[in-house]
Amino acid sequence: MSEVARIIEALIFLSPEPLAIDELSRATECGEDEVRAALAEIAPRYEPGVRGIALKELAGGYTFASEPVADEAARRLFGRVRLAKLTQAQAETMAIVAYLQPLSRPEIARIRGVNADHAVAALHEHDLIEESGRSQFGAALYSTTSTFLKLFGLNSLEELPDITRFDPSPEEASELRERLLKAGEARAGSDPQAA
Amino acid sequence: MSLGTLDLDLDVFSGPFDLLLALILREEVDLLELDLADIVLAYLAHIEARGDLDLDTATEFIVLIAALLELKSRLMLPEEEVEDLLEMAPEEAAEELLERMLAARRYRGAAGELQGLLAAQAGVSFRRAPVPRRFRRSAIEQAQGTADPETLGEALAGLLRMPPQISVRHMLSPRVTVGERLEHLRGLLRRGSFSFDDAVKDADRVTVAVTLLALLELYRRGEGEWEQAEPFGPITVRPGSAHTGAPRWREPAHGEGASGGGAPLEVAV
Repeated sequence: MSEVARIIEALIFLSPEPLAIDELSRATECGEDEVRAALAEIAPRYEPGVRGIALKELAGGYTFASEPVADEAARRLFGRVRLAKLTQAQAETMAIVAYLQPLSRPEIARIRGVNADHAVAALHEHDLIEESGRSQFGAALYSTTSTFLKLFGLNSLEELPDITRFDPSPEEASELRERLLKAGEARAGSDPQAA
Repeated sequence: MSLGTLDLDLDVFSGPFDLLLALILREEVDLLELDLADIVLAYLAHIEARGDLDLDTATEFIVLIAALLELKSRLMLPEEEVEDLLEMAPEEAAEELLERMLAARRYRGAAGELQGLLAAQAGVSFRRAPVPRRFRRSAIEQAQGTADPETLGEALAGLLRMPPQISVRHMLSPRVTVGERLEHLRGLLRRGSFSFDDAVKDADRVTVAVTLLALLELYRRGEGEWEQAEPFGPITVRPGSAHTGAPRWREPAHGEGASGGGAPLEVAV
Protein backbone atom coordinates (compact mmCIF):
# COMPACT_ATOMS: atom_id res chain seq x y z
CA MET A 1 0.00 0.00 0.00
CA SER A 2 1.09 3.59 -0.55
CA GLU A 3 2.27 5.57 2.47
CA VAL A 4 -0.88 7.71 2.53
CA ALA A 5 -3.03 4.59 2.52
CA ARG A 6 -1.10 3.12 5.43
CA ILE A 7 -1.40 6.35 7.41
CA ILE A 8 -5.13 6.56 6.75
CA GLU A 9 -5.59 2.93 7.74
CA ALA A 10 -3.83 3.75 11.04
CA LEU A 11 -5.99 6.84 11.65
CA ILE A 12 -9.20 4.90 11.11
CA PHE A 13 -7.91 2.19 13.44
CA LEU A 14 -7.22 4.79 16.14
CA SER A 15 -10.43 6.75 15.85
CA PRO A 16 -13.48 5.76 17.92
CA GLU A 17 -15.69 7.75 15.52
CA PRO A 18 -16.06 7.50 11.76
CA LEU A 19 -13.57 9.83 10.05
CA ALA A 20 -14.82 11.97 7.19
CA ILE A 21 -12.85 12.56 4.03
CA ASP A 22 -12.15 16.20 4.93
CA GLU A 23 -10.89 15.21 8.40
CA LEU A 24 -8.53 12.65 6.86
CA SER A 25 -7.44 15.22 4.31
CA ARG A 26 -6.61 17.77 7.01
CA ALA A 27 -4.74 15.23 9.14
CA THR A 28 -2.67 13.76 6.30
CA GLU A 29 -2.22 17.12 4.58
CA CYS A 30 -3.28 15.44 1.36
CA GLY A 31 -5.94 16.50 -1.11
CA GLU A 32 -9.37 14.89 -0.82
CA ASP A 33 -8.86 13.10 -4.13
CA GLU A 34 -5.66 11.59 -2.83
CA VAL A 35 -7.51 10.46 0.31
CA ARG A 36 -10.24 8.88 -1.81
CA ALA A 37 -7.63 7.04 -3.87
CA ALA A 38 -5.98 5.79 -0.69
CA LEU A 39 -9.33 4.58 0.66
CA ALA A 40 -9.93 2.73 -2.60
CA GLU A 41 -6.57 1.08 -2.05
CA ILE A 42 -7.48 0.02 1.49
CA ALA A 43 -11.05 -1.09 0.84
CA PRO A 44 -10.40 -4.44 -0.97
CA ARG A 45 -8.33 -5.65 1.99
CA TYR A 46 -11.33 -5.16 4.26
CA GLU A 47 -14.06 -6.64 2.13
CA PRO A 48 -16.54 -8.71 4.19
CA GLY A 49 -15.32 -12.25 4.66
CA VAL A 50 -11.65 -11.39 4.21
CA ARG A 51 -10.73 -10.43 7.78
CA GLY A 52 -12.21 -10.15 11.23
CA ILE A 53 -12.81 -6.46 10.72
CA ALA A 54 -14.48 -4.61 7.89
CA LEU A 55 -14.09 -1.06 6.61
CA LYS A 56 -17.49 0.68 6.72
CA GLU A 57 -18.73 3.98 5.42
CA LEU A 58 -21.08 5.12 8.18
CA ALA A 59 -22.29 8.38 9.70
CA GLY A 60 -20.56 10.40 7.03
CA GLY A 61 -17.14 8.83 7.49
CA TYR A 62 -15.02 5.69 7.50
CA THR A 63 -14.68 3.34 10.43
CA PHE A 64 -13.65 -0.19 11.25
CA ALA A 65 -16.23 -2.62 12.60
CA SER A 66 -15.96 -6.19 13.76
CA GLU A 67 -17.46 -8.90 11.56
CA PRO A 68 -20.50 -10.82 12.86
CA VAL A 69 -18.33 -13.95 12.95
CA ALA A 70 -16.68 -12.55 16.10
CA ASP A 71 -19.93 -11.58 17.82
CA GLU A 72 -20.39 -14.57 20.09
CA ALA A 73 -16.75 -14.70 21.20
CA ALA A 74 -16.74 -10.95 21.77
CA ARG A 75 -19.80 -11.28 23.96
CA ARG A 76 -18.13 -13.98 26.00
CA LEU A 77 -15.09 -11.74 26.44
CA PHE A 78 -16.65 -8.30 26.91
CA GLY A 79 -20.28 -8.94 27.80
CA ARG A 80 -22.93 -7.18 25.72
CA VAL A 81 -20.97 -5.16 23.17
CA ARG A 82 -23.77 -3.44 21.31
CA LEU A 83 -27.39 -2.42 21.54
CA ALA A 84 -29.36 -5.43 20.33
CA LYS A 85 -32.95 -4.26 20.25
CA LEU A 86 -35.22 -1.37 21.08
CA THR A 87 -38.57 -1.65 22.84
CA GLN A 88 -41.63 -0.66 20.82
CA ALA A 89 -41.87 2.67 22.66
CA GLN A 90 -38.17 3.35 22.13
CA ALA A 91 -38.36 2.43 18.45
CA GLU A 92 -41.36 4.73 17.87
CA THR A 93 -39.63 7.56 19.69
CA MET A 94 -36.46 6.87 17.72
CA ALA A 95 -38.43 7.06 14.46
CA ILE A 96 -40.09 10.33 15.44
CA VAL A 97 -36.77 11.94 16.35
CA ALA A 98 -35.04 10.53 13.25
CA TYR A 99 -37.65 11.99 10.89
CA LEU A 100 -38.69 15.21 12.64
CA GLN A 101 -35.51 16.36 14.39
CA PRO A 102 -34.85 18.56 16.14
CA LEU A 103 -37.91 18.34 18.36
CA SER A 104 -38.79 18.46 22.03
CA ARG A 105 -40.16 15.84 24.39
CA PRO A 106 -43.68 17.35 24.51
CA GLU A 107 -43.82 17.22 20.70
CA ILE A 108 -42.83 13.54 20.73
CA ALA A 109 -45.50 12.84 23.37
CA ARG A 110 -48.11 14.66 21.25
CA ILE A 111 -47.44 12.46 18.24
CA ARG A 112 -47.29 9.21 20.18
CA GLY A 113 -50.28 10.15 22.31
CA VAL A 114 -48.49 8.98 25.45
CA ASN A 115 -45.68 10.22 27.63
CA ALA A 116 -42.25 9.71 26.04
CA ASP A 117 -40.01 10.54 28.99
CA HIS A 118 -38.79 7.01 29.63
CA ALA A 119 -38.12 6.24 26.01
CA VAL A 120 -36.28 9.54 25.51
CA ALA A 121 -34.15 8.87 28.60
CA ALA A 122 -33.29 5.36 27.40
CA LEU A 123 -32.35 6.54 23.90
CA HIS A 124 -30.25 9.29 25.45
CA GLU A 125 -28.58 6.69 27.66
CA HIS A 126 -27.70 4.60 24.60
CA ASP A 127 -26.27 7.74 22.97
CA LEU A 128 -28.74 7.41 20.09
CA ILE A 129 -30.14 10.91 20.59
CA GLU A 130 -28.65 14.05 22.07
CA GLU A 131 -29.73 17.54 23.06
CA SER A 132 -29.09 19.88 20.20
CA GLY A 133 -30.51 23.17 21.43
CA ARG A 134 -33.53 24.78 23.00
CA SER A 135 -36.95 25.54 21.61
CA GLN A 136 -38.26 29.09 21.88
CA PHE A 137 -40.02 28.01 25.08
CA GLY A 138 -36.83 26.61 26.59
CA ALA A 139 -37.58 22.90 26.11
CA ALA A 140 -34.59 20.75 25.14
CA LEU A 141 -34.59 19.76 21.47
CA TYR A 142 -33.39 16.29 20.52
CA SER A 143 -31.54 15.11 17.44
CA THR A 144 -30.00 11.80 16.41
CA THR A 145 -26.29 11.13 17.03
CA SER A 146 -23.60 9.57 14.87
CA THR A 147 -23.95 6.50 17.11
CA PHE A 148 -27.51 6.20 15.76
CA LEU A 149 -26.24 6.22 12.18
CA LYS A 150 -23.49 3.73 13.04
CA LEU A 151 -25.70 1.24 14.84
CA PHE A 152 -28.43 1.41 12.21
CA GLY A 153 -25.93 1.03 9.37
CA LEU A 154 -26.63 4.43 7.83
CA ASN A 155 -24.20 6.80 6.21
CA SER A 156 -26.53 9.77 6.57
CA LEU A 157 -30.12 10.59 7.48
CA GLU A 158 -30.91 10.85 3.76
CA GLU A 159 -30.66 7.07 3.56
CA LEU A 160 -33.80 6.72 5.67
CA PRO A 161 -36.76 5.72 3.50
CA ASP A 162 -39.33 8.42 2.68
CA ILE A 163 -41.73 8.75 5.60
CA THR A 164 -44.80 8.68 3.34
CA ARG A 165 -43.92 5.02 2.68
CA PHE A 166 -45.30 4.29 6.13
CA ASP A 167 -48.53 6.26 5.74
CA PRO A 168 -51.63 4.16 6.33
CA SER A 169 -53.36 3.31 3.06
CA PRO A 170 -56.38 5.47 2.03
CA GLU A 171 -58.65 2.53 2.90
CA GLU A 172 -57.17 2.25 6.39
CA ALA A 173 -57.46 6.01 6.84
CA SER A 174 -61.11 6.18 5.80
CA GLU A 175 -61.98 3.17 7.94
CA LEU A 176 -60.36 4.85 10.91
CA ARG A 177 -62.29 8.04 10.12
CA GLU A 178 -65.62 6.18 9.99
CA ARG A 179 -64.98 4.56 13.35
CA LEU A 180 -64.02 7.83 14.96
CA LEU A 181 -67.06 9.69 13.61
CA LYS A 182 -69.37 6.98 14.88
CA ALA A 183 -67.80 7.16 18.32
CA GLY A 184 -68.09 10.95 18.24
CA GLU A 185 -71.78 10.85 17.34
CA ALA A 186 -72.51 8.29 20.03
CA ARG A 187 -70.95 10.57 22.57
CA ALA A 188 -72.77 13.65 21.33
CA GLY A 189 -76.05 11.71 21.54
CA SER A 190 -75.54 10.77 25.18
CA ASP A 191 -74.50 14.28 26.13
CA PRO A 192 -77.35 15.94 28.06
CA GLN A 193 -76.07 19.43 27.18
CA ALA A 194 -76.22 18.74 23.48
CA ALA A 195 -79.54 16.89 23.59
CA MET B 1 -75.48 17.23 54.46
CA SER B 2 -76.93 17.55 51.00
CA LEU B 3 -76.97 20.52 48.72
CA GLY B 4 -80.74 20.74 49.30
CA THR B 5 -80.14 22.33 52.66
CA LEU B 6 -78.25 25.22 51.06
CA ASP B 7 -80.58 28.16 51.46
CA LEU B 8 -80.21 30.97 49.00
CA ASP B 9 -81.33 34.56 49.20
CA LEU B 10 -80.73 36.01 45.74
CA ASP B 11 -82.23 38.88 43.77
CA VAL B 12 -84.42 36.66 41.61
CA PHE B 13 -84.84 33.69 43.92
CA SER B 14 -85.08 32.87 47.56
CA GLY B 15 -85.16 29.28 48.83
CA PRO B 16 -83.24 26.01 48.81
CA PHE B 17 -80.64 25.28 46.10
CA ASP B 18 -82.33 22.13 44.77
CA LEU B 19 -85.59 23.99 44.24
CA LEU B 20 -83.66 26.60 42.24
CA LEU B 21 -82.20 23.82 40.09
CA ALA B 22 -85.66 22.38 39.45
CA LEU B 23 -87.01 25.79 38.50
CA ILE B 24 -84.12 26.45 36.11
CA LEU B 25 -84.64 23.10 34.41
CA ARG B 26 -88.36 23.83 34.03
CA GLU B 27 -87.35 27.27 32.74
CA GLU B 28 -89.41 29.00 35.40
CA VAL B 29 -86.35 30.93 36.51
CA ASP B 30 -84.40 32.72 33.80
CA LEU B 31 -80.81 31.65 34.01
CA LEU B 32 -79.75 34.87 32.31
CA GLU B 33 -81.06 36.92 35.21
CA LEU B 34 -79.41 34.74 37.79
CA ASP B 35 -76.09 35.83 39.26
CA LEU B 36 -74.18 32.54 39.55
CA ALA B 37 -71.37 34.16 41.50
CA ASP B 38 -73.86 34.90 44.28
CA ILE B 39 -74.68 31.19 44.55
CA VAL B 40 -70.99 30.36 44.85
CA LEU B 41 -70.56 33.01 47.55
CA ALA B 42 -73.60 31.67 49.42
CA TYR B 43 -72.16 28.16 49.25
CA LEU B 44 -68.78 29.30 50.54
CA ALA B 45 -70.49 31.11 53.45
CA HIS B 46 -72.48 27.94 54.09
CA ILE B 47 -69.29 25.81 54.28
CA GLU B 48 -67.65 28.33 56.52
CA ALA B 49 -70.64 28.32 58.90
CA ARG B 50 -70.58 24.52 59.08
CA GLY B 51 -66.84 24.43 59.63
CA ASP B 52 -66.21 21.23 57.67
CA LEU B 53 -65.93 20.37 54.00
CA ASP B 54 -67.87 17.32 52.81
CA LEU B 55 -65.95 16.25 49.69
CA ASP B 56 -68.89 14.50 48.01
CA THR B 57 -71.15 17.50 48.40
CA ALA B 58 -68.45 19.90 47.32
CA THR B 59 -67.82 17.82 44.20
CA GLU B 60 -71.51 17.71 43.42
CA PHE B 61 -71.74 21.46 43.84
CA ILE B 62 -68.79 22.09 41.50
CA VAL B 63 -70.30 19.82 38.85
CA LEU B 64 -73.70 21.54 39.10
CA ILE B 65 -72.34 25.07 39.09
CA ALA B 66 -70.06 24.24 36.15
CA ALA B 67 -73.04 22.88 34.22
CA LEU B 68 -75.04 26.02 35.02
CA LEU B 69 -72.13 28.20 33.88
CA GLU B 70 -71.83 26.34 30.59
CA LEU B 71 -75.57 26.48 30.04
CA LYS B 72 -75.65 30.17 30.78
CA SER B 73 -72.68 30.97 28.55
CA ARG B 74 -74.42 29.15 25.68
CA LEU B 75 -77.60 31.09 26.28
CA MET B 76 -75.64 34.31 26.06
CA LEU B 77 -74.29 33.48 22.59
CA PRO B 78 -76.33 34.38 19.51
CA GLU B 79 -78.60 31.50 18.45
CA GLU B 80 -76.87 30.36 15.21
CA GLU B 81 -73.39 30.28 16.73
CA VAL B 82 -74.64 27.89 19.37
CA GLU B 83 -75.81 25.55 16.65
CA ASP B 84 -72.48 25.89 14.86
CA LEU B 85 -70.67 24.93 18.01
CA LEU B 86 -72.87 21.95 18.71
CA GLU B 87 -72.74 20.58 15.19
CA MET B 88 -69.09 21.23 14.45
CA ALA B 89 -67.52 20.08 17.67
CA PRO B 90 -67.68 16.29 17.42
CA GLU B 91 -66.65 16.26 13.78
CA GLU B 92 -63.79 18.64 14.28
CA ALA B 93 -62.61 16.74 17.32
CA ALA B 94 -62.75 13.49 15.39
CA GLU B 95 -60.86 15.05 12.49
CA GLU B 96 -58.08 16.22 14.76
CA LEU B 97 -57.94 12.88 16.52
CA LEU B 98 -57.78 11.15 13.15
CA GLU B 99 -54.82 13.30 12.10
CA ARG B 100 -52.97 12.33 15.22
CA MET B 101 -53.76 8.64 14.94
CA LEU B 102 -52.60 8.59 11.34
CA ALA B 103 -49.35 10.31 12.35
CA ALA B 104 -48.87 7.81 15.17
CA ARG B 105 -49.38 4.92 12.72
CA ARG B 106 -46.92 6.46 10.29
CA TYR B 107 -44.19 6.54 12.91
CA ARG B 108 -45.08 3.10 14.18
CA GLY B 109 -44.38 1.87 10.66
CA ALA B 110 -41.11 3.78 10.58
CA ALA B 111 -40.25 2.26 13.95
CA GLY B 112 -40.62 -1.20 12.43
CA GLU B 113 -38.27 -0.19 9.62
CA LEU B 114 -35.67 1.02 12.13
CA GLN B 115 -35.92 -2.22 14.10
CA GLY B 116 -35.19 -4.02 10.83
CA LEU B 117 -32.15 -1.84 10.14
CA LEU B 118 -30.85 -2.48 13.64
CA ALA B 119 -31.39 -6.22 13.32
CA ALA B 120 -29.56 -6.23 9.95
CA GLN B 121 -26.49 -4.87 11.74
CA ALA B 122 -26.57 -7.61 14.37
CA GLY B 123 -23.10 -8.87 15.18
CA VAL B 124 -21.35 -5.77 13.86
CA SER B 125 -19.55 -4.01 16.69
CA PHE B 126 -17.41 -0.94 16.97
CA ARG B 127 -14.56 0.15 19.16
CA ARG B 128 -15.96 0.57 22.67
CA ALA B 129 -15.76 3.42 25.15
CA PRO B 130 -15.11 6.18 22.67
CA VAL B 131 -13.68 9.43 23.90
CA PRO B 132 -16.65 11.62 24.85
CA ARG B 133 -17.25 14.07 22.08
CA ARG B 134 -16.79 17.04 24.41
CA PHE B 135 -13.14 16.06 24.90
CA ARG B 136 -12.41 15.86 21.22
CA ARG B 137 -10.43 18.65 19.70
CA SER B 138 -12.59 20.52 17.27
CA ALA B 139 -12.36 23.76 15.40
CA ILE B 140 -14.11 26.73 16.99
CA GLU B 141 -16.28 27.24 13.90
CA GLN B 142 -17.57 23.70 14.32
CA ALA B 143 -18.67 24.36 17.88
CA GLN B 144 -22.23 25.60 17.76
CA GLY B 145 -23.45 27.75 20.61
CA THR B 146 -26.69 26.48 22.08
CA ALA B 147 -26.87 28.83 25.03
CA ASP B 148 -26.96 32.59 25.31
CA PRO B 149 -23.64 34.15 26.45
CA GLU B 150 -25.62 36.06 29.03
CA THR B 151 -26.78 32.80 30.60
CA LEU B 152 -23.14 31.79 30.87
CA GLY B 153 -22.33 35.15 32.43
CA GLU B 154 -25.06 34.73 35.01
CA ALA B 155 -23.83 31.25 35.86
CA LEU B 156 -20.28 32.52 36.30
CA ALA B 157 -21.48 35.43 38.44
CA GLY B 158 -23.15 32.89 40.70
CA LEU B 159 -19.83 31.10 41.13
CA LEU B 160 -18.08 34.31 42.17
CA ARG B 161 -20.45 34.96 45.05
CA MET B 162 -19.29 33.58 48.40
CA PRO B 163 -21.67 30.84 49.47
CA PRO B 164 -23.21 31.25 52.91
CA GLN B 165 -21.35 29.56 55.73
CA ILE B 166 -22.81 26.15 56.40
CA SER B 167 -23.74 25.60 60.00
CA VAL B 168 -22.40 22.40 61.52
CA ARG B 169 -24.08 22.98 64.87
CA HIS B 170 -26.38 20.05 64.33
CA MET B 171 -23.42 17.68 64.16
CA LEU B 172 -22.57 15.77 67.30
CA SER B 173 -19.09 16.02 68.76
CA PRO B 174 -17.39 12.68 69.31
CA ARG B 175 -19.15 10.91 72.11
CA VAL B 176 -17.41 9.51 75.15
CA THR B 177 -19.57 7.90 77.82
CA VAL B 178 -18.91 7.67 81.53
CA GLY B 179 -19.56 3.91 81.26
CA GLU B 180 -16.73 3.46 78.75
CA ARG B 181 -14.29 5.43 80.85
CA LEU B 182 -15.40 3.59 83.98
CA GLU B 183 -14.54 0.29 82.32
CA HIS B 184 -11.18 1.75 81.33
CA LEU B 185 -10.42 2.82 84.91
CA ARG B 186 -11.51 -0.51 86.34
CA GLY B 187 -9.16 -2.24 83.93
CA LEU B 188 -6.28 -0.10 85.17
CA LEU B 189 -7.31 -0.61 88.80
CA ARG B 190 -7.12 -4.36 88.45
CA ARG B 191 -3.39 -3.91 87.93
CA GLY B 192 -3.04 -1.81 91.09
CA SER B 193 -2.68 1.94 91.45
CA PHE B 194 -2.08 4.32 88.58
CA SER B 195 -1.80 8.03 87.95
CA PHE B 196 -4.65 9.95 86.41
CA ASP B 197 -2.32 11.33 83.76
CA ASP B 198 -1.58 7.79 82.61
CA ALA B 199 -5.27 7.02 82.46
CA VAL B 200 -5.93 9.95 80.10
CA LYS B 201 -2.73 9.81 78.11
CA ASP B 202 -3.16 11.34 74.63
CA ALA B 203 -6.88 11.82 75.26
CA ASP B 204 -8.77 14.94 74.23
CA ARG B 205 -10.33 17.43 76.65
CA VAL B 206 -13.77 15.87 76.54
CA THR B 207 -12.38 12.43 77.33
CA VAL B 208 -10.36 13.86 80.22
CA ALA B 209 -13.46 15.52 81.64
CA VAL B 210 -15.56 12.38 81.26
CA THR B 211 -12.78 10.28 82.79
CA LEU B 212 -12.87 12.58 85.79
CA LEU B 213 -16.60 11.98 86.11
CA ALA B 214 -15.95 8.25 85.88
CA LEU B 215 -13.38 8.62 88.62
CA LEU B 216 -15.97 10.32 90.82
CA GLU B 217 -18.37 7.47 90.10
CA LEU B 218 -15.66 4.96 90.97
CA TYR B 219 -15.12 6.73 94.23
CA ARG B 220 -18.83 6.90 94.98
CA ARG B 221 -19.08 3.14 94.61
CA GLY B 222 -16.08 2.66 96.87
CA GLU B 223 -14.12 0.92 94.12
CA GLY B 224 -11.27 3.40 94.17
CA GLU B 225 -9.81 6.32 96.03
CA TRP B 226 -7.37 8.99 95.02
CA GLU B 227 -4.86 11.42 96.29
CA GLN B 228 -3.60 14.75 94.98
CA ALA B 229 -0.79 16.36 96.96
CA GLU B 230 -1.18 19.86 95.55
CA PRO B 231 -3.25 21.75 92.97
CA PHE B 232 -2.33 20.64 89.42
CA GLY B 233 -0.21 17.95 90.98
CA PRO B 234 -0.44 14.35 89.88
CA ILE B 235 -3.50 12.39 91.01
CA THR B 236 -2.84 8.88 92.18
CA VAL B 237 -5.70 6.40 92.02
CA ARG B 238 -5.68 3.28 94.19
CA PRO B 239 -8.09 0.40 94.54
CA GLY B 240 -10.44 1.29 97.36
CA SER B 241 -11.89 -0.75 100.17
CA ALA B 242 -15.60 -0.46 99.57
CA HIS B 243 -17.53 2.17 101.56
CA THR B 244 -14.57 4.22 102.65
CA GLY B 245 -14.88 7.75 103.92
CA ALA B 246 -13.90 10.95 102.20
CA PRO B 247 -11.18 10.93 99.56
CA ARG B 248 -7.81 11.87 100.82
CA TRP B 249 -6.88 14.88 98.84
CA ARG B 250 -5.93 18.20 100.19
CA GLU B 251 -8.57 20.76 99.50
CA PRO B 252 -6.89 23.79 97.97
CA ALA B 253 -7.49 27.19 99.48
CA HIS B 254 -9.54 29.64 97.40
CA GLY B 255 -7.41 31.49 94.90
CA GLU B 256 -4.60 29.04 95.17
CA GLY B 257 -5.36 27.42 91.82
CA ALA B 258 -4.20 29.16 88.67
CA SER B 259 -7.73 29.52 87.37
CA GLY B 260 -8.91 30.95 90.65
CA GLY B 261 -12.11 29.00 90.30
CA GLY B 262 -11.65 27.35 93.65
CA ALA B 263 -12.54 23.93 92.30
CA PRO B 264 -11.71 21.17 94.75
CA LEU B 265 -9.95 19.17 92.09
CA GLU B 266 -8.07 20.75 89.25
CA VAL B 267 -6.75 18.93 86.29
CA ALA B 268 -4.59 20.47 83.63
CA VAL B 269 -6.07 19.48 80.32
